[in-house]
Amino acid sequence: MGKTLFEKIWDAHIVVEKENSPSLIYIDRHLVHEVTSPQAFDGLRMNNRSVRRPDLTIATMDHNVPTNNRTLPILDQTSAVQIQTLEKNCKDFGIQLFDINSPNQGIVHVIGPQLGITLPGSTIVCGDSHTSTHGAFGALAFGIGTSEVEHVLASQTLWLEKPKPFEIIVAGKRKNPHAVTAKDIILSIIKNIGTSGGNGTVIEYRGEGICDLSMEQRMTICNMSIEAGARAGLIAPDEKTFEYLRGRKYTPKNYESLVEYWKDNLKTDSDAKFEKKYTLHIDNIAPQVSWGTNPGMTCDVTESIPSPEDFSNGDQNQKKGAEQALEYMALKPGTPIIEIKIDRVFIGSCTNARLEDLIEASKVVKGRKLSPHVRAMVVPGSQMVKKQAEELGLDKIFTNANFEWRESGCSMCLGMNPDILSPGERCASTSNRNFEGRQGTGGRTHLVSPVMAAAAAIEGHFVDVREMDLN
Amino acid sequence: MKGNVIKYERDNIDTDVIIPGQYLKVHDYAELALHAMEGLDPDFHSKVKEGDFILSGRNFGCGSSREHAPIALSHSGIKAVLALSFARIFYRNAVDGAFLLPIEIEEDAYSDISEGDEIDINIHTNEIKNITKNKIYKMKPFSEIIGKIIEAGGLFKYKPD
Ligand code: SF4
Repeated sequence: MGKTLFEKIWDAHIVVEKENSPSLIYIDRHLVHEVTSPQAFDGLRMNNRSVRRPDLTIATMDHNVPTNNRTLPILDQTSAVQIQTLEKNCKDFGIQLFDINSPNQGIVHVIGPQLGITLPGSTIVCGDSHTSTHGAFGALAFGIGTSEVEHVLASQTLWLEKPKPFEIIVAGKRKNPHAVTAKDIILSIIKNIGTSGGNGTVIEYRGEGICDLSMEQRMTICNMSIEAGARAGLIAPDEKTFEYLRGRKYTPKNYESLVEYWKDNLKTDSDAKFEKKYTLHIDNIAPQVSWGTNPGMTCDVTESIPSPEDFSNGDQNQKKGAEQALEYMALKPGTPIIEIKIDRVFIGSCTNARLEDLIEASKVVKGRKLSPHVRAMVVPGSQMVKKQAEELGLDKIFTNANFEWRESGCSMCLGMNPDILSPGERCASTSNRNFEGRQGTGGRTHLVSPVMAAAAAIEGHFVDVREMDLN
Repeated sequence: MKGNVIKYERDNIDTDVIIPGQYLKVHDYAELALHAMEGLDPDFHSKVKEGDFILSGRNFGCGSSREHAPIALSHSGIKAVLALSFARIFYRNAVDGAFLLPIEIEEDAYSDISEGDEIDINIHTNEIKNITKNKIYKMKPFSEIIGKIIEAGGLFKYKPD
């Protein structure tokens, strides 16, 4: 019987395998950031261990770096300490660090691909659940906890239970690809399979709707695999993948011969078996807006807030969850999405802060002005994205419309740096989690695509971006 | 393993409510514990006792890979979380660091056990005894793999046989 792409990558990385035991898997790349690594380095020191492969380990600081003026000191003392700790750890253990002043600094999942660190067929881990992003390149990439970070630092391996392969086919073509984006595809998938629909699996996204996407759009899809509960998301590499990685800073010297190998080997065999299957038809999907407190609580922009009764299909816990969500979000069933007014807009995060995201959002903003009661921030995913965007004049388009143009980092994706919502504020956000308090205590998050966020910023409430003139 | 139950009757308790993002900077576990469950239940810290269990619905611990989540609970005194199902990373983190036991239960235990009930968990017989209500429920056994890591006392102590 044939193998799935996931099984091929898994098999190629087995160090030890025994029935009914965890497998020891070799890790090709380890990405490290300031929040989930300090205890791991402490553990190494305590046990007198070194980092096994500092050359395969790369660090940056993204979660708690401020996104305003970088020449100023970091005011929050605990953040400053965490950042200094990473600096010291990288120095002590010989790990390459892209620090706050580096032109390569950025959100860890944005810089990996951008620097050519993310390679097809490799295994990649990071102490961050959105490591699944790198799966867009046909890498097996997943988030790990701090104990596991320590294990990988010490041994470059990890004991793992083998997940099951899950096939998601994205069929058809979007009618208006500038308004209906990769974000809308992945939100539709999560809405349909649920936030635990992918538990215990590695999803392989396939089909015309995936092949049509650019690399940056594919990253948006794989990024949110974890929101469906999956360990990882994968897309088989193709010409777009190979072209994207050509000539980047860390692209290997023997790249072309690797490409030949990948072309022959990194695909699911036609007779391979998936444990689970789901198909999404995208010909008629609409822009998505989340209304609740998990990414599965999402609907079309043209719809109204569902009643907990309708949402739950008779499941009591789901019903209760929806009631609690609506209470937290201060929303009433039956309210049309387009009537929901917003206070803040956040265009950023590892889901949607790449160059293409900013270009698309800028088309909505160009020549228009921010709604007077809205505060909007654009936070590029990395310093490199920021520079490229500025070369295209995108910063001017945003600032002319009264949007804030910031330095790179995780920013308002999670409330651990100065960029947060105030209690009760409602935000259209291009990030990936709308959990209670995610963007700051009491903050209310609606997940949308960059163009939907930009359109909401202009109008002051949600609008169907398909109806806007984008030329 | 005996203790009292703190019940959250809902699905999808995520890592951002278990330990909100602003506390991920906190290095001291005892201090971290002061903020456990703060996103959902600001009274948690004052009511939790050493040896308590949390009981909840499906997909417990979904979201971030932050090990701070099981650490904050374990340093609050929580010895096990009983849930209808778990998100994978939380489950792994709980077991890998030997912070607490993630125990998968069935609907009967979920609906029957109330806040404050005293229960006794036996991971060898896979039974949960409700001492308050004098009832017994089955728990789902750990997979062989997870069982071995738990037995070893965490990922670092695990050695293949
Ligand atoms: S942008 Fe958000 S989801 Fe992505 S790594 Fe940063 S905090 Fe995590």
